[in-house]
Amino acid sequence: MPAPNLRVTIAGIEMKNPLTVGSGTYGHHGNFSQFFPVETMGVLVPKTVRNYKWPGNPGPRVLETTAGLHSSVGIPCNTWEHFVAHDVPILKTLKLPIIQSVIGRTEDEYVEIVERCDSLNVFAGIELNLSCPNLKQGGLDFGYDPDSAYKLVRHVRSKTRLPVIAKLAPDYTSLLKVAKSVEAAGADAISMINAPRAMCIDHVTRKPMIGNKIGALSGAAIKPLAVYMVWEVYRAVQIPIFGMGGVTDFRDVIEFMAAGARAVGFGTINYVDPMALPRALGELTRFLEENGIADVNELVGSAHEDRPALVVPERVVA
Amino acid sequence: MLQQVNAPVVWNRPLTGDYWLIEVEAPTIAGPLAPGQFVNIRIPGLTPYLRRPFSVYRVSPDRRRLQVAYKVIGDGTRLMTSALPEGGVCDVIGPLGRGFKLPAQAKHIAVIGRGIGIAALPTLVDAAADRGIAIHALLSARTTPNLVGLDIFSERGCTVITHTDDEPSVAQVTDHLIGLDKRHPFDAFYVCGSNRLARAVHALAERRGVPAEIAMEQHMACGFGDCHGCVIDVNLDREGKETAFREVCHYGPVFDTWEVVHARA
Ligand SMILES: Cc1cc2nc3c(=O)[nH]c(=O)nc-3n(C[C@H](O)[C@H](O)[C@H](O)COP(=O)(O)OP(=O)(O)OC[C@H]3O[C@@H](n4cnc5c(N)ncnc54)[C@H](O)[C@@H]3O)c2cc1C
Ligand SMILES: Cc1cc2nc3c(=O)[nH]c(=O)nc-3n(C[C@H](O)[C@H](O)[C@H](O)COP(=O)(O)O)c2cc1C
Ligand code: FES
Repeated sequence: MPAPNLRVTIAGIEMKNPLTVGSGTYGHHGNFSQFFPVETMGVLVPKTVRNYKWPGNPGPRVLETTAGLHSSVGIPCNTWEHFVAHDVPILKTLKLPIIQSVIGRTEDEYVEIVERCDSLNVFAGIELNLSCPNLKQGGLDFGYDPDSAYKLVRHVRSKTRLPVIAKLAPDYTSLLKVAKSVEAAGADAISMINAPRAMCIDHVTRKPMIGNKIGALSGAAIKPLAVYMVWEVYRAVQIPIFGMGGVTDFRDVIEFMAAGARAVGFGTINYVDPMALPRALGELTRFLEENGIADVNELVGSAHEDRPALVVPERVVA
Repeated sequence: MLQQVNAPVVWNRPLTGDYWLIEVEAPTIAGPLAPGQFVNIRIPGLTPYLRRPFSVYRVSPDRRRLQVAYKVIGDGTRLMTSALPEGGVCDVIGPLGRGFKLPAQAKHIAVIGRGIGIAALPTLVDAAADRGIAIHALLSARTTPNLVGLDIFSERGCTVITHTDDEPSVAQVTDHLIGLDKRHPFDAFYVCGSNRLARAVHALAERRGVPAEIAMEQHMACGFGDCHGCVIDVNLDREGKETAFREVCHYGPVFDTWEVVHARA
């Protein structure tokens, strides 16, 4: 059998494989290749940028939980000039498509940062972070509210020709409404999930344990929640989905794709096991070969009722 | 260059007090490692989830193996005693962070460690002793068995002064330090494991106009600068007029004491 096809296309962005990273979980200070060549993945999503300098939240910012990470970093950001002078030249040298994640406190700030990113001619797409759980302003103001999300995406859509991806918050009540409204407003794809809000309280002091008090939960612990939400959104919209939330290995990649994701992001696991993504790519390829799946796109949505189950040959141990 | 290696475990056994000592074969980390740098160790499985950061305690003379002296205090370190047996492998990332700076003209230094902070000092002592620098080591801990590494400090010719909380109170570490400095002024100070000691050392070093460094700890997720999780509030100028959050794993763990001793604290 010829090598299986790993190429996927999302919002017109051609990826040589469906693997990517969650914004903010891979690379720092413009350095993206500490453990493996960044070109291993299908598309790079660097950390969210703002159009102004921002210190982020006070420490402690990270705390371990059972199979997860409780964090409240708050998207620290250097100046736009610093981004252009230091990060962009490095991004320009990379030989893969890059989707830049952006955030603002207001609709106008989002539009401004999108226009600035567009003008650099470096990016293949823009991800609107509508879902950072750790901010007092911006992000969730849009991510929880279908009307604000609609207005924002529509406004951004009118200002850039780049594909626009909306990164959604894992909110049970508003999720489907927001997904449908960003689709109606012209978003080209959805990215989900951002980390849900969470809290840890010290049983001795009886006070929240991280500096911002409220934080996020990410990592293996949230995977079933994320898979479920991708499954629901896949049924509700036509636009493709970048799925993420607790991915650890190639089995999780298949799980997210079966739920409906066309590409899958590695997040917190990059901190724990920085070689997880390249290893999963090899194992995914082998899985497709061993199961006679010619095209990785066949996995997308395969968990839904109208799709046949794979008859697993007995020799295969996944 | 940062490395992730599956390092063969040479051995992993109790050391003294609450401490265990693990030795692994990791030439690509041990080779370039500078005094005061650290490693991040993964415990197999998803619980515990995060790696555990540790100073490198010692590097073998051929620079192929490294040791970590770890205090068994929580779930992760407890598991390390059984999950990383001799003959197995240990997933290590390193060398991480920025280590200690030994001034070119230093002839006489003081290393001051408390508790697990002591474990960061032997690599510095080795480097200083190799250069013929005279070293005073002032070490303190809760109990005598938890004064880790006394053998190394003696072997490398340090003058060692110890203090434990269970001793009926003799002179405090800081009293010793001030007394010693009067007789034989130190060219640099290095402190690990106590903010109280750091403030005292900083005051002394400032008065004398000599450098003082401190190894800091903070909760970490990655250990290699990607998550922005391990920040502390750092002075950007000596007067503390401007401060900023800085990642301990990237800008530290070793800082100048003026960066981290805040005027208001
Ligand atoms: C740069 C650096 C060097 C260190 N060097 C040493 C050393 O040489 N020897 C040694 O015994 N210990 C050292 N420590 C502390 C060591 O990392 C913790 O004792 C260890 O992580 C505790 O893990 P645990 O699961 O047993 O404890 P738990 O309390 O159950 O750990 C829960 C979480 O808190 C984190 N944590 C707990 N205590 C600390 C701490 N003091 N600093 C940072 N994170 C912590 C853990 O990493 C884990 O994520 C160092 C810490 C840092 C940051
Ligand atoms: C420390 C940390 C920083 C993050 N920073 C960002 C960010 O800047 N922008 C963003 O859209 N998502 C950010 N995320 C969310 C991740 O991209 C991802 O959506 C989420 O963590 C779920 O995936 P995971 O469980 O695999 O980590 C961050 C997550 C963590 C843990
Ligand atoms: S631990 Fe991730 S930046 Fe320091």
